[in-house]
Amino acid sequence: MSLKRVVITGLGVVSPFGNGLPALMKGFEESRSAVRRMDGWEAYSGLQSLVGAPVEMEGEKRIPRQKRRSMGRMSIFAAQAADEAIADAGITLAGEDRGRVGCVIGSTMGSAKSINDAFEIMLPARDLSRLNSTMFFQCMSHTAAANIAQYLGLSGVVMAPAAACASALHAIGAGYDLIRLGRQDMLFCGGAEELHPTVTGSFDILFATSTRYNDAPHKTPRPFDRDRDGLVCAEGSGIVVLEEYERAVKRNAKIYAEIKGYSTTANGFHVSQSNRDSMLACMRQAMRDAGIGSGEIDYINAHATATVQGDQEEAEAIREIFGSSVPVSSLKGYIGHTLGASGAIELAASLKMMKEGVIYPTRNLESIAPDCAGIDHVTEPRRKQIKTVLKNGFAFGGINAALVCGKTEA
Amino acid sequence: MTDQEIIDTTNKVFEEDFEIERERLTPQAHIFTDLGLDSLDIVDLIVALQNRFGVKIRNEERVKDIRTLQDIYHFIAAVKSEEGKKSS
Repeated sequence: MSLKRVVITGLGVVSPFGNGLPALMKGFEESRSAVRRMDGWEAYSGLQSLVGAPVEMEGEKRIPRQKRRSMGRMSIFAAQAADEAIADAGITLAGEDRGRVGCVIGSTMGSAKSINDAFEIMLPARDLSRLNSTMFFQCMSHTAAANIAQYLGLSGVVMAPAAACASALHAIGAGYDLIRLGRQDMLFCGGAEELHPTVTGSFDILFATSTRYNDAPHKTPRPFDRDRDGLVCAEGSGIVVLEEYERAVKRNAKIYAEIKGYSTTANGFHVSQSNRDSMLACMRQAMRDAGIGSGEIDYINAHATATVQGDQEEAEAIREIFGSSVPVSSLKGYIGHTLGASGAIELAASLKMMKEGVIYPTRNLESIAPDCAGIDHVTEPRRKQIKTVLKNGFAFGGINAALVCGKTEA
Repeated sequence: MTDQEIIDTTNKVFEEDFEIERERLTPQAHIFTDLGLDSLDIVDLIVALQNRFGVKIRNEERVKDIRTLQDIYHFIAAVKSEEGKKSS
């Protein structure tokens, strides 16, 4: 059985720069920071990092109430990103064989705010009677995927990989396989996540957050920089439309890129520490899956969250394979770490960069850290023809993911 | 609590929680067929009515007979009246 080819034909994003991919790209172009000091977070005793990159929610009332009531913030972001992706792909779902169209949307967990609210309502008096009917649907781990399937009226595959910060890449990788194997024709894939003090707190207690820039939020996070001190949590959603190649060509679709290869590996070594060797294996395996060598990668969109250890491990892994021959940048200096959504948001941005022939630099990278040196860090916007991009994503739990996308050749 | 206060408070639940325009909130309006509520909404309606009126109605059999806004007004008035008698 020959495998199908899989292409990306639509992109949708909700990011701390606002609704839509154009808003995100404009933020990069203007080298802005979406990070700010978070009002009210001082109330959490023990929380050292008081910065975040929130989304100003807008237009959510356009989602019908009975679809919206089961959505927490993250699912609303996903619905808005899906709407943009559908419009961008130029598709209407009305005429589709719905059993062949589904969604794979991952996240670390369900809506953080809803989970917090549910316990705040229930626990003080151990009283369940004040919980509303849809709280569970906002809290469940597959909330974004299930809600988008309902919102769009999908009846194909619905899956929700939970792999923390690698969730969106896992979702796209799983979608790639489903279409490759001929099980689905089209899938909405990506991730969604939301910002909440308890989410930042989960990194904070492990000393993984940025804590030195609470009074200068625009200066953090600082991927690969000498003065980096940890990640900054953010929120949003990225949804990409994956389509079987022949079908996309037949309907004369705009094709951003073909998914050429994918890999995910575990480090089997430590639940929270990144590991260079398993990152290496993951990137190599993704290129092998794509049938290409390291010399054919034109740009690496790094995971690089600005943690001391994670950035070093990733830089070392990239250096081992590519030396300083391939430009590398991380987008987290602009929008923070959108966690389970980051793989899809940053992939969408990378595909847009590929289309425009420009690489946006790593914001806040002012002085390359010695332990991250030896790779081609992009520190100024750079014009370059990009034919093939490698997108990295790494996660708590010792999980790595790497995706190779390239311009389509007929 | 007056009958008018019960009507106003109930209608406010429909306006704010279920986003239904005020002009559609007539006493005869059927909460399923006219106002579009479904089984999940009924759970939320009970929670909202409990919160707004300070009553406990989750396990009330009479909830199952509610069809119109008028039914809700009467039901709440009856529950409030029974609770008043119990506490006096």
